[in-house]
Amino acid sequence: MKAVERVDQFYLLKQLPKATALLCKEGNLLDASCSWLEIFGLPPINKKQKTQIFSLLPEVEDLIEKLQEAKSFNLRHEISLNNETRHLKSYFAPWFDEKENVIGTIVQTDDITSEVEKEEELNWLKNIMETKMEVSKTGWWEYEIDTEKLTWCKETKRIHQVPDCYEPTVIEAIEFYKSGYSQNKVSMLFHKAITDYQSYDTKVMIVTFNGEERWVRITGKPFIKEGKVAKIFGTIKDIHNQVIAEHRVKEHQQLLTTLVDSLPLNVYVKDLESRKVLVNKGECSYLHKKPEELIGKTDFDLYDREIAQISREEDIQVMKHLTPIIGKETVSCLNGKTTHFLTSKIPYFDLEGKVCGVIGMGLDITSMKKKQEELCDLIKITSMQNQKLISFAHIVSHNLRSHSANFSMLLGFLNSEKDQEERKRIIKMLTQASDNLLETLGNLNQVLDINTQESETKKTLNLKKSITGVLHNLSAFLENNDTQIINNVADDMVVKCVPTYLDSIILNLVSNAVKYKSPGRPPIITINAIKSDKGVLLSISDNGLGMDLDRYGDKIFGMYKTFHNREDAKGFGLYLIKNQIEAMGGSITVQSEVDKGTTFNVYFNEES
Amino acid sequence: MCILMKKVSCIFIVDDDPITVFGIKKMLKSVADCKDIQIFQNGKEAYDALIERQNLGKPIPEVIFLDINMPIMDGWDFLDEMIELNITEHVVINMITSSIDPLDYKKWADFKDRCPYILNFKNKPIFKIEPNDLGCITAAS
Repeated sequence: MKAVERVDQFYLLKQLPKATALLCKEGNLLDASCSWLEIFGLPPINKKQKTQIFSLLPEVEDLIEKLQEAKSFNLRHEISLNNETRHLKSYFAPWFDEKENVIGTIVQTDDITSEVEKEEELNWLKNIMETKMEVSKTGWWEYEIDTEKLTWCKETKRIHQVPDCYEPTVIEAIEFYKSGYSQNKVSMLFHKAITDYQSYDTKVMIVTFNGEERWVRITGKPFIKEGKVAKIFGTIKDIHNQVIAEHRVKEHQQLLTTLVDSLPLNVYVKDLESRKVLVNKGECSYLHKKPEELIGKTDFDLYDREIAQISREEDIQVMKHLTPIIGKETVSCLNGKTTHFLTSKIPYFDLEGKVCGVIGMGLDITSMKKKQEELCDLIKITSMQNQKLISFAHIVSHNLRSHSANFSMLLGFLNSEKDQEERKRIIKMLTQASDNLLETLGNLNQVLDINTQESETKKTLNLKKSITGVLHNLSAFLENNDTQIINNVADDMVVKCVPTYLDSIILNLVSNAVKYKSPGRPPIITINAIKSDKGVLLSISDNGLGMDLDRYGDKIFGMYKTFHNREDAKGFGLYLIKNQIEAMGGSITVQSEVDKGTTFNVYFNEES
Repeated sequence: MCILMKKVSCIFIVDDDPITVFGIKKMLKSVADCKDIQIFQNGKEAYDALIERQNLGKPIPEVIFLDINMPIMDGWDFLDEMIELNITEHVVINMITSSIDPLDYKKWADFKDRCPYILNFKNKPIFKIEPNDLGCITAAS
């Protein structure tokens, strides 16, 4: 019954929204609100079981003394319930009766666990931030507009190489930036942050307290409060080494690019699949493409299959065996144009030393090749001309010598001859010798003219007309010999030739064909002309005596070489026309079979 | 000094130049006593005559004057063919040429070694036929 009474009495206290308890002077719990009891995990108040406040706050050692002082105070304490620690804050105030006597203590307790946790979290974050700043060597700064106070963190001071006690002003801070670009830029950005609320992030240079010039990255961000900038917060990071390293890399890159681009070579780098990953200017201009059009392409995209296949096999060989190809002569065809290259391919290694492609270099040697060929041709021509000169010199010396020998011999006879009749005979011989010499000289002159008069210009001549003209001049001779001519030359066939040479060539070959006819059959001469890539081929065939070419082959075009016993065979005609033909850049060949006939083939060079 | 007229049974002159032939004949008159002097315009003619003589049992020429440069068959070719004939008689061959080509001289030297006959090399002009050319050993000295 008493308990019921008590419930009534303290009913108000029990309902208090704030956790509240009443202690007697001895510190025993008299009563408490439900919320208070809940915080401490206590059962409803039981008069028989005394609960002392000290057992609830064991960590507060001087609680007894504090309570006796009869003054109000605050306490922070913890309680562990169900493995959960709660942070509590209790307010102790003396409890007076109507006569202002202290009869106990009023305790009000707040659960401040969440506040404490927040605080801890904040501390943790602060910690993280500081560690971050320290590790990333990023400093922060803060400027308050109203107070004009600038705060640098430790790291910021370290970056500026100032002592920890240093407190900068804004002007001083700005003066740390290298005068000129950096200082102007920072002033401008800082100003804009204040006036235009603009954040910034830039790379500038500072001159540290010790006079070192260093690259830093700075940021600034205005914080706006009530429509105006209250403060500016920013960071500063020393990026000197990165910037320098970057510069160096850029410089190296620049050097390499300039070098690779300016080399008089076609340079390319290919990956393992032979896709181009780098091309230089030379390669681009050779392929008539922009670098971006070539990157990622293989030779199969650029060249004929056959050429690309060869190139790919070379690449594989280099990458597989790691043996470079150095200075190999290769031929490349692009849009029908052939280019000769001196190609080198070397394996390309990555940073771990594993092959990751090939580096190729090609030196265009087309013009060199051409010059070499020209030189070879020139040497050929020169040595041929030299050979001709030597043989001509021999001819001259031999022929002139034979005549002069005859003169000497005959004059010797004349000197000692007394007999008039014999003297007359000798003089007749001398006249003969003189005529022979004159004829020989005339022949030699003709040959000389051919070989020296380069100015004899070739004209485009109608071959059929020329042949007809010569045949007309020979008509009496041909008729007397009962000659049949089969002229198969097309009406519109033209050759480039010196007119007098063409007449001479036709005249000599046709008259030879008749001269060396077989006694057993009338001569038949067949004339054909074929046009080919090399030029016009004129062939004149007969059914005459023929020659044993195994025996005379090398001599047939020689001077004063005759092979048949004929009075009018002088051995000069073929020598003359060979010279004429060769002077025009052509050639003459012969096929013959004894007693069957002979064919002469004349090749005309179409070049002027 | 007196050169005796050498008696020669047969002489071949193989040359296509009539003036040279004339000269040789004229020079022979004073040094050789020969009733049988044959003229050929080229090696082939002379070769054919040699075979004929061999077949008919006629005397083989003791002395041959042989030009080098001739149509159809030249002096060298003639020599080649003649060596093949295996003539056992004593023959003196005089190569006569206006050539001063060292190649001809070298060729002569090669032939001299393998030719079973006496092989002389005479450069034109010729003014005199030496006893040597007729196969004589000079009687004098």
